[in-house]
Amino acid sequence: MAKKIRVLIAKPGLDGHDRGAKVIARALRDAGMEVIYTGLRQTPEDIVEAAIQEDVDAIGLSCLSGAHMTLFPEVVRILRKRRAKDIVVAGGGIIPEEDVPKLRKAGVKAVFGPGTPLTEIVGFFKKAAKGA
Amino acid sequence: MRELVAARRRRPLRRGRADNRVAELVQDLARGDKRAAAKLISLIEDDEPEAAEALERIHPRTGKAHIVGFTGPPGVGKSSLINRLVRAYRRRGKKVGVVAVDPTSPFTGGAVLGDRIRMAETGIDPGVFIRSMATRGHPGGLALATFDAVRVLDALGMDIVFVETVGAGQSEVEIAKRAHTTVVVEMPLSGDAVQVMKAGILEIGDVYVVNKVDLGDADGLVANLNQEIHPRNGWTSPIVRTSALEERGIPDLVLALERHRAHLESTGELREREAARARQEILDNLRRLVEERARRADRVRAEIDRLARDVVERRLDPHAAADALLLGMARRRRVPVPRRRGRAS
Repeated sequence: MAKKIRVLIAKPGLDGHDRGAKVIARALRDAGMEVIYTGLRQTPEDIVEAAIQEDVDAIGLSCLSGAHMTLFPEVVRILRKRRAKDIVVAGGGIIPEEDVPKLRKAGVKAVFGPGTPLTEIVGFFKKAAKGA
Repeated sequence: MRELVAARRRRPLRRGRADNRVAELVQDLARGDKRAAAKLISLIEDDEPEAAEALERIHPRTGKAHIVGFTGPPGVGKSSLINRLVRAYRRRGKKVGVVAVDPTSPFTGGAVLGDRIRMAETGIDPGVFIRSMATRGHPGGLALATFDAVRVLDALGMDIVFVETVGAGQSEVEIAKRAHTTVVVEMPLSGDAVQVMKAGILEIGDVYVVNKVDLGDADGLVANLNQEIHPRNGWTSPIVRTSALEERGIPDLVLALERHRAHLESTGELREREAARARQEILDNLRRLVEERARRADRVRAEIDRLARDVVERRLDPHAAADALLLGMARRRRVPVPRRRGRAS
């Protein structure tokens, strides 16, 4: 059995908009990946715990509430604390231009705004899994 | 066959000091390290070269957990029930593992594993470990590595491990050969008395659950199930009414599981079931080994091509071809062409 790429798609914080997360989950599935979708309103601790138990290659965070500057770096920080920084973190949602470099600096490997082609996102996760 | 066994015989493991990655992972596992458990499950699931050694080291540390399988149609509430049970067992101070299986796409090989959504409230509880698995083409509502993952969670120190099968139709009964206790979940308004009479999934339950009693009309289903349940080895499978949504009937379900476990222990059936599972697993592994060898060796592949031509030309039937191949593999020489036999395929 060949190694499968496993990705956790999660929605941190108080944000009920999961259309985007589901579109991404479906695209990654159609690209042959195993996608663990954990649903709404997860804390960063929940997300990291799930990522560790599921032994994923990467985490995709979706946030449309504006709390990304708190929640995304917090996931990266807890991953480091749990000695799991090999798990790649990417984020998406309504994220202002000027926040992107700050998120990148905080360890979020990629940030995908509205209108990003799905092929670009699929390509990112494929590459991320290979690097891990 | 002798050669097959020899190929599998490995040098004995060096015990004690951790001298490689797998040994280290297994030592961490025994200390309750979840990351090690997760890594070991992946290693086995992906069939990495170290998988055999990992299983060899893990196996002696297993045998304590009560393994409970859940099966039933999609959407009947298996994940939600397991979520409620996890909470109930945690309140009793038990450590709980869950292996939840969802289907792999036959076209892309991808999968969306969504059982965790219903189990989200377990969050960061240190006494809970949940792993989602895709079937990766394995039939029967389970993945090939499902029960190896169960073994890892057993060795991690879980007192009870719930296995959730793919939402099963009428014939996905493999779980019953492998779990200690099999729970069949049904719901009201899902078919008439004849549905309940059909063979297969409705025969395998040690415990039956009628979930979603909040929908009403549970009495009809319970009555129909009652008609079909007969005592087996001194155990009459109870029917438990639950509503995972409204958290009703969960203590009754816990009681039914505990009573079945006690029954298995007191009658010696636990050992019998373990032996039945071991036989099944030996056969599964034999099949896997033979297939792997057949696929890997050029010589064998060439023989398969030659035999396939004979089958297409109607010189040989597929059964006889497989017989010939197996004989040839065991003797490690050119596969003899068997005489035509009258056996239908």
